[in-house]
Amino acid sequence: MKKIKKVLSAVLAATMVMSLVACSNTASTEKETASEASSTEATQTPASDVKVGFIFLHDENSTYDLNFINGATQACEAAGVEYMFKTNIPEGQECYEAACELADAGCDIVFADSFGHEDYMIEAAKEYPEVQFCHATGTKAHTENLSNYHNAFATIYEGRYLAGIAAGMKLNEMIANGEITEDQAKIGYVGAYTYAEVISGYTSFFLGARSVCPSATMEVTFTGSWYDETAEKEGANKLIEDGCVLLSQHADSMGAPTACEKAGVPDVSYNGSTASACPNTFIVSSRIDWAPYFAYIIDAVANKTEIATDWVGTLETGSVVLTDLGDAAAEGTAEAIAEAEKAMNAGTLHVFDTTTFTVNGETLSSYMADVDTDAEYTADTEVITDGYFAESGSEFRSAPYFDLQIDGISLLDTAY
Amino acid sequence: MENKEVAISLRGITKSFGEVTANSNVNLDVYKGEILSLLGENGSGKTTLMNMLAGIYYPDAGQIIINGKEAVIRSPRDAFDLGIGMVHQHFKLIDVFDATENIILGLEGKLNKKEAEKRIKEICDKYGFEINTKKKIYDMSVSEKQTVEIVKVLYRGADILILDEPTAVLTPQETEKLFNVMRNMKHDGKSLVIITHKLNEVQSISDRVAVLRHGEFISDMRTSKTNAQEMTDMMVGHSVSLNIERPDPVDPKPRIVVENLTVVDEEGIVKLDDVSFTANTGEILGIAGISGCGQKELLRAIAGLEIIKDGKITYIHQDGRTEDLLGKSPREISELGVKLSFVPEDRLGMGLVGNMNLADNMMLRSYRSGKSRFFTEKKEPRKLAEKVVDKLQVSTPSIDTPVRLLSGGNVQKVLVGREISSRPKVLLTAYAVRGLDISSSYQIYDLINQQKKRGAAVLFVGEDLDVLVELCDRVLVLCGGKVSGIVDGRNTDKYTLGSMMTQRGEAI
Amino acid sequence: MGQKVKEPRYHIVKRADISKREAWTIRIIAILAALLLCAIITMVCTGDNPISIFVTIFKGAFGTQRKTWITLQYVAILLIISLALTPAFKMQFWNVGGEGQVLMGGLAAAACMITLADKLPNAVVIILMIVSSILAGAIWGVIPAIFKALWNTNETLSTLMMNYIATQLVAYFTIVWEVPKGSGKIGIINQNSNVGWLPNIGNKYLLSIIVAAVVTIGMFIYLKFTKHGYEIEVVGESQNTARYVGISVEKVVIRTMLLSGAICGLAGLLLVGGINHTITTTISAGQGFTGVMVSWLAKFNPVAMIFTSLLIIFMSRGASEISTAFELNQSFADILTGIILFFIIGCEFFIRYKIVVRKDLGKEDA
Repeated sequence: MKKIKKVLSAVLAATMVMSLVACSNTASTEKETASEASSTEATQTPASDVKVGFIFLHDENSTYDLNFINGATQACEAAGVEYMFKTNIPEGQECYEAACELADAGCDIVFADSFGHEDYMIEAAKEYPEVQFCHATGTKAHTENLSNYHNAFATIYEGRYLAGIAAGMKLNEMIANGEITEDQAKIGYVGAYTYAEVISGYTSFFLGARSVCPSATMEVTFTGSWYDETAEKEGANKLIEDGCVLLSQHADSMGAPTACEKAGVPDVSYNGSTASACPNTFIVSSRIDWAPYFAYIIDAVANKTEIATDWVGTLETGSVVLTDLGDAAAEGTAEAIAEAEKAMNAGTLHVFDTTTFTVNGETLSSYMADVDTDAEYTADTEVITDGYFAESGSEFRSAPYFDLQIDGISLLDTAY
Repeated sequence: MENKEVAISLRGITKSFGEVTANSNVNLDVYKGEILSLLGENGSGKTTLMNMLAGIYYPDAGQIIINGKEAVIRSPRDAFDLGIGMVHQHFKLIDVFDATENIILGLEGKLNKKEAEKRIKEICDKYGFEINTKKKIYDMSVSEKQTVEIVKVLYRGADILILDEPTAVLTPQETEKLFNVMRNMKHDGKSLVIITHKLNEVQSISDRVAVLRHGEFISDMRTSKTNAQEMTDMMVGHSVSLNIERPDPVDPKPRIVVENLTVVDEEGIVKLDDVSFTANTGEILGIAGISGCGQKELLRAIAGLEIIKDGKITYIHQDGRTEDLLGKSPREISELGVKLSFVPEDRLGMGLVGNMNLADNMMLRSYRSGKSRFFTEKKEPRKLAEKVVDKLQVSTPSIDTPVRLLSGGNVQKVLVGREISSRPKVLLTAYAVRGLDISSSYQIYDLINQQKKRGAAVLFVGEDLDVLVELCDRVLVLCGGKVSGIVDGRNTDKYTLGSMMTQRGEAI
Repeated sequence: MGQKVKEPRYHIVKRADISKREAWTIRIIAILAALLLCAIITMVCTGDNPISIFVTIFKGAFGTQRKTWITLQYVAILLIISLALTPAFKMQFWNVGGEGQVLMGGLAAAACMITLADKLPNAVVIILMIVSSILAGAIWGVIPAIFKALWNTNETLSTLMMNYIATQLVAYFTIVWEVPKGSGKIGIINQNSNVGWLPNIGNKYLLSIIVAAVVTIGMFIYLKFTKHGYEIEVVGESQNTARYVGISVEKVVIRTMLLSGAICGLAGLLLVGGINHTITTTISAGQGFTGVMVSWLAKFNPVAMIFTSLLIIFMSRGASEISTAFELNQSFADILTGIILFFIIGCEFFIRYKIVVRKDLGKEDA
């Protein structure tokens, strides 16, 4: 009997703890229902009857999705509209079903956050012409000819470039301190796939670093997954063993940042600050703030104006942002970044200026990129204009298409 | 009797499994220094009753009083603590361990093999066991394994021994040896309970006999004051004749001729070595031998289930045509038109499918026939099942009952019924009455005799030498895979067979 | 008489045969108990009343017309996979390779859709898809069977290993066929031409449901009324008996695994050609294993499998609805599903055994 009591009390205690955790969980992600929305009078433009549905690949445990969830909550609460979340929706028919369920539930806008959701969003868009379907990171809106299907992205390569400057400053500091020689200024980069978005990201990051530290080189490894903590950690460790003295990553878990923290290697993060988990090695992180886009589409639907087929957020729209600098950042970094940002906004600095990089030893004067998605990867659009590679400004499409292999970066594996 | 001390007293023991009542209000006493035979037909609840003493089952109602104190026996460990040990029909030994290791297995305290061996030797000397403590179980004969089981129980300090059908697997000589040690134990003041249904053994070993019928206690009496007929009548509940019929063979002609048959198993052990004989129509050829001497393989070889290394098996049709059965599968043999039936030793593991009902089991032999190539024909098997149930008095709720739920005797009736339904020309039976009670056994002997009279050649592998001597026209004795001789059943006795089983080639 | 010794308060007794009604009563009680526990846990976590929790579970599966169709479609796919595994399990061949067989079927279908889209007319592509996916599943199923028949290898291990091979093959082809380059995903195949898309019957969901119904009836007849089915049962119950009556065990094992794999391949075809129109390594979502449970719970009875697969889909969709409706983490849905499955599987113990409580409890204490 005694034993039973012991067990019982243990179970009860466990239940209490669990419920506490769960309750705090709910509190932090509390949903804004219609009634609550009306009670919060503070909202400026009550676009009351608009309802937005969101589809997320994972939940708030993924840095990638958390960034979207925060943006969505912020934008919807500011606009005072009703919204619904569907988390953990895989990149398959489930996405189509989730989109349809949201449309059935009366959403005027359905948004999905993952690249692989695109095709299923298009399917749903065909079925619900009166509902606006918006998709981040997708590539097909400009070729699908669906008036209610839209892509969105941001000039994150600009943010990456700025973060690259922070990395270059750190390398310079390390050289100046005698920790490394100029030749040892090798950056490591953990990427997900050999996909244009990733290539564009690490190239701009590298160009940013090299703009302040001319001797910098880079090694890139790929994990073959957008979210694989073990593979990302292993990739980071491999790069560190290879002699990389600074790391950055384009994958969604904490694998690379924690590996850096453990090894004491400075890290430029992505999607958000990792300063709390990596206080000693975090330099800075670039991320896309999606709140401006969400505000834009809510406004467009409320005022019955067209949503752009390909919307690109920029530094100016507040879509591309850098986090606060970490303790590991070198002195003078903030100033260097501010200067470059000013030049970008003024149009005098282009990230992919063809004079700053070579491909196979040659400077590019012309390049046909694969902008229109097709199974044969047909190169269809001339993207070099005015001496720079016109990456996804509003020119051609919102998602990046820079897929060149520039000199100074070596890929360790290209299996993915 | 009254001056003897009571070792066990069972009071009002009741145990049921679901709907079936295995024991109902059983009262039974066992005294110190006596051998009690527990007698009863299959399914009369003997084993269940003893399992409750051994801690395997727990009674639904009733009391168990051990040495004057009420006892609760929840597990075999409780039973050991009370000095009760049971040797089960199926041995529970670990093959790769030697005798000593098996005996001390599971005992608490420090493992001291030397000390243990010394104690084992003391026990053996005291009661007259012969045991090689270093021998591995897999090298042992059945009788040696049984010795290990008994010593194991004594080693744990048992004063009350229960032996569940200990002689079923022994030769007469081995049985005699066992009985000697049992008598020694008795004189040492131990109580022994032996479960059996061999009446001659009851008479030769026990002081007292208790009879169970349908789970109920019928009577107990001094063995010296009763006789076989009385005990049988008590077990069965009505009067039975104890004579086995042996009609003279009518016009025997060779049907199966086996020449120089050699069978080697997967491990390369020779199971049959240069075996030759002829089985005649209208005759029962008995096959005797210590278990594992090649009886099983002999029948399996004829039925097409063994890989044969060497030799010849010829089937002779009524009209004199011959068929070579060597290397043919059971299916090919039946396609040749050879009507061969086989009642294997393993009834539920081979002859029948335990989880299937009677009707589906009838289909095993015939499911390939029928009009459709693809679908099974269920009408005929159902008719056959009903016929078998009716003719052989199979006691079953219905023909849709899974056969595993039937008692041993009824299972065998279903199997034999199916095998003889095809009116076989050759009938192979292995241990056809093993584990069966008296009335079922006699029914099986009758069925076999009917086939003999019909003109079938019957091969009867048996273990009870009394039965072999009474039933068979001729008896072939196997020893270690070789034929030690073929004797006329009418001019032999069980002692001759017994000695032929152990040493090769005495009589021809 | 000696002194009183305490009888144990309760002991466990094996049941003889239990009636179907009794068994189902126990199962239903178990499900109700599981639901109750889920409700309590959810209540503790969210503070909502249990009725609304049950309503949410039900809504998750049947809340709207679309949800009902989706639920039925999920049931159909799980049912087909479970039915595919059933003859193998009935034969006591532990085919835990359903996952791989489904994937290979799907991969074959996807290969036809991708490589033949511009070369052959749609109808021909679809026919080739049907043939090749069924064949691919069958081959994936029969390889372990041949190994078992020839060398008596352990089929549990070999079928499991075949899953990994299949997963890696799909991963490899995902990279080969990825669109756009480097993205690591194939996306919807032939999204605009719809070549190789299985035709919609009535609506998007009905085709799988009809196929599942046909397979269910077919499997029921196959197992119960055919010679093959009879042979499977005999081999499963006792290989000795099978040999004794002249059944070639090896032949039956190979033939049955061909069938088992083929139906898994069919499920793969429906997943790729009829539902997702793409191939990913996770397309069968563990249903190759869930199917084992569905089949066992139904005691290998195809008709009962309709209910067990419905139960499992209903529970998992209900649980995931709870986690979204009450804003809980996805893991919470997994916890609830786990609790429910624990009860469903655990109740089999009470079907086989019963606990006998001391009858004269009150008397003795007095």
